Amino acid sequence: MATEAIGGETPTLFLRKATGLVRGWSVRDSIIYAALATNFVTLGIYAFAVSAPPFPKGQLITAVLISAVWVSFLVIAYAGLIVTIPRAGGDYVWQTRILGSGLGFVMAVSGWWFILWLWAPIYGNILSVQLFEPLWATLKWTWPAGGAAWFGTKNGIFVVTLITIALAGILVSIGMAGYARVQKWCFIGGMIGFVVVVGLLLFNSHASFINSFNLEAQKLFGISNAYSATNAAAAKAGVSASSFGFGPLGESMLLVPVMMFFLLWPNWGATLYGEIRGASDFRRVFTGMFVGLWITVVCTVIFLLLMVKTVGWSFYQNSNGLSFAGKGVLPIWPYPFMLAGWLIHNTAFQVILILVLSLWFFGWVGTLFLSSTRVIFAAAFDRVLPDRAAEVSEKRKVPVYSLILMLLPAAGLSAVYAYSTTFRSYTLDATLVIAVTYLFSAIAVVVLPWRKPELWRASPASRIKVLGVPIVPVAGVVTIGLLVFNLVEWLSNDNYFVNNHDSLIYMGAMYVLAILVYVVARIVRRRQGIDLGLINKEIPVE
Amino acid sequence: MKVFFATDIHGSEICWRKFLNSAAFYKADLVILGGDVTGKVMVPIVAHQGYWQVTVRGQEHRLETQQELDDIQRQIRNTGSYPAIVSPDELQQLSKEEGAVDRRFTVEMTRSLDRWLDMADGKLRGGEIPCILNGGNDDIWEIDDIIEQSPCVSFAEGKVIDLDGFQLVSMGWTNPTPWDTFREAPEPELATKIEAVVSRVPDMERAIFNFHAPPYGTGLDEAPALDASLRPIHGGAVMKPVGSTAVRDAIMKHQPMLSVHGHIHESRAIKKMGRTLAINPGSVYGDGVLQGALIELNAKKGKVAKYLLVNG
Repeated sequence: MATEAIGGETPTLFLRKATGLVRGWSVRDSIIYAALATNFVTLGIYAFAVSAPPFPKGQLITAVLISAVWVSFLVIAYAGLIVTIPRAGGDYVWQTRILGSGLGFVMAVSGWWFILWLWAPIYGNILSVQLFEPLWATLKWTWPAGGAAWFGTKNGIFVVTLITIALAGILVSIGMAGYARVQKWCFIGGMIGFVVVVGLLLFNSHASFINSFNLEAQKLFGISNAYSATNAAAAKAGVSASSFGFGPLGESMLLVPVMMFFLLWPNWGATLYGEIRGASDFRRVFTGMFVGLWITVVCTVIFLLLMVKTVGWSFYQNSNGLSFAGKGVLPIWPYPFMLAGWLIHNTAFQVILILVLSLWFFGWVGTLFLSSTRVIFAAAFDRVLPDRAAEVSEKRKVPVYSLILMLLPAAGLSAVYAYSTTFRSYTLDATLVIAVTYLFSAIAVVVLPWRKPELWRASPASRIKVLGVPIVPVAGVVTIGLLVFNLVEWLSNDNYFVNNHDSLIYMGAMYVLAILVYVVARIVRRRQGIDLGLINKEIPVE
Repeated sequence: MKVFFATDIHGSEICWRKFLNSAAFYKADLVILGGDVTGKVMVPIVAHQGYWQVTVRGQEHRLETQQELDDIQRQIRNTGSYPAIVSPDELQQLSKEEGAVDRRFTVEMTRSLDRWLDMADGKLRGGEIPCILNGGNDDIWEIDDIIEQSPCVSFAEGKVIDLDGFQLVSMGWTNPTPWDTFREAPEPELATKIEAVVSRVPDMERAIFNFHAPPYGTGLDEAPALDASLRPIHGGAVMKPVGSTAVRDAIMKHQPMLSVHGHIHESRAIKKMGRTLAINPGSVYGDGVLQGALIELNAKKGKVAKYLLVNG
């Protein structure tokens, strides 16, 4: 029997060779996934334009930094959960084990399945404004009618969303093996694209940007003096822009719930394998998520500072504000990276830059339905959903029914999103529902030492202390503070477009649907003589 | 007949205790543990003059009392590891002498199994509640005789056991793994072994396959793809089927009523393969949770009436 000693000169444990005794995965992978999940290009820049304009006095950099510090506590809390119960099922497993089956099911299906139906059209819209619109505009393609602007129409948004859904569905069907390799290259390529943008904005002056902007806007859209026209249009439309700075704090805090749209996800792909766990695992898991989050923060801050230096802070805010009000001077969304590309008057360069930066989108879109598949399968194996939901076709190995459960509602909701501008404004609903799921995981980590004392004592997380106090439950409390703050703001402030009647009905319907599925499953299975209450009931030890 | 099936507890004493209580808890008529009973890790506790020293999960402990020693041993056992009390000289010997760790592992594994079977005697009322164990690929050969001699536990490895008209066929062998463990065989050889035991089943319609290896490509066998140093690649996001084609072919050919598996801890799943219901309840023994499958068999119709995966 082959063995291995661990602990150097004086071994602290001996391993024998046995199946599955795998070590954790590399921190580098973890960092890449966390950075892609908190995607500052697809989600961050989009949020600045789509959800930040109602808070013109708030400072974006201040909000980003406050949010990131606060989310860092969420990273600690989740690292604690991951090393305590390192299951791929994530929130579903933690909540069902620690808080109970019914609650875990409702939170998992609402936060990891139902709400992703809304993320599909949001992703579709991002693909429209960050790839199709700028590409068509740069190449001056006029088909379909309207050219680039067509992608911003109702039909355009719907078609691109269907493309996004199909793409995500295909990637789920072919499996993660090939895609995972692509993801890393997407990250590297996307980063190279960003470095090019940084170089362009860093080494060009404000005057040079104005000239280039005016020149390209004239060339591509026939708009004269577009820079001045944008600022004038903003003044006329009453779009106000604050001067660049770090305060006031109160107004900037109101931007924190907007920042959650991209900064709340460093834990999205985090999991842990390996049966030999120790304090080093906590550090590894924490480092992956933490560094990934802060890479995003650093990139975002660099981007915003370059907006100030070269593009002009007022202009950047004005163009976002006009776009938000539907009164933009350009006929398409003012994608900042496309505008940066205009500093080089070469169509091929501009096209390549747009394509390279789209890697930020393609590196993450494949995971859109991945969590949904996992939740659907887990729920089917728990007999809460019909067995068929977890079926995989023999020939093609495609999870047909779970794909139907994801794709059809997503396509239906995409139609509503595309053809109802009101519904389109509920963008932050997609963040809120997942935040509620996170809230219950944060509660789970706080009550873990009391609810599962044996599990907690055995966890490396219990030994991570500051001044003798275990920091993981404390981080859980701070995370609850973050999530409650955001929930209160989202639900009490009209400017997030979350708390209106229809939006609340929409979100409420998801929870009602989840509860209904669970209750019906309990009743149906009871009639079949199956007690679902047994699933997580602990067998006594003594 | 209600059956509780669990597997891959890998030395976790808390899981063993739960397993022994599972019949009463779930009101099962029969309990089966599908292999990989033994642990993979040994934790040396160094006995010094007046105290003991041990490192558990990266944290060093100095134990002053017998109570502290007992507590830490219990903690170690509950996670599936073996506490081994050694002198400083013995620790040096273990570190340096070839084969010393193997020998000590064998001692600790067999000693632990003996203790477990003593516990079983009380809990299973001296064999009144049928309890079946078989080997897994990670189990050393020495456990076979120990279990075989137990009065309250039936050792099922390579046998066909009649269970009130149902035939349980058990096999702890698996297809080759990257770890080159004990009961591994290339697929053709595994197929021959399976056929040898399956051919003794009189009625396949009432047969239950208890094969440690899950059938290939069925979702019961998805494990993280590993690199050359056996670390998960691509953040553990890439899973690949690692089950046995011989097991899959045997199921498809013979179509038993039920087929229960283990081996791949991450792959808790259920799959209908023709008329066969195939189940892998998975394992999270390190958390002290006993995952299992509650299966109700209809004796009259000879089929699976109900099933539920549980986290006990």
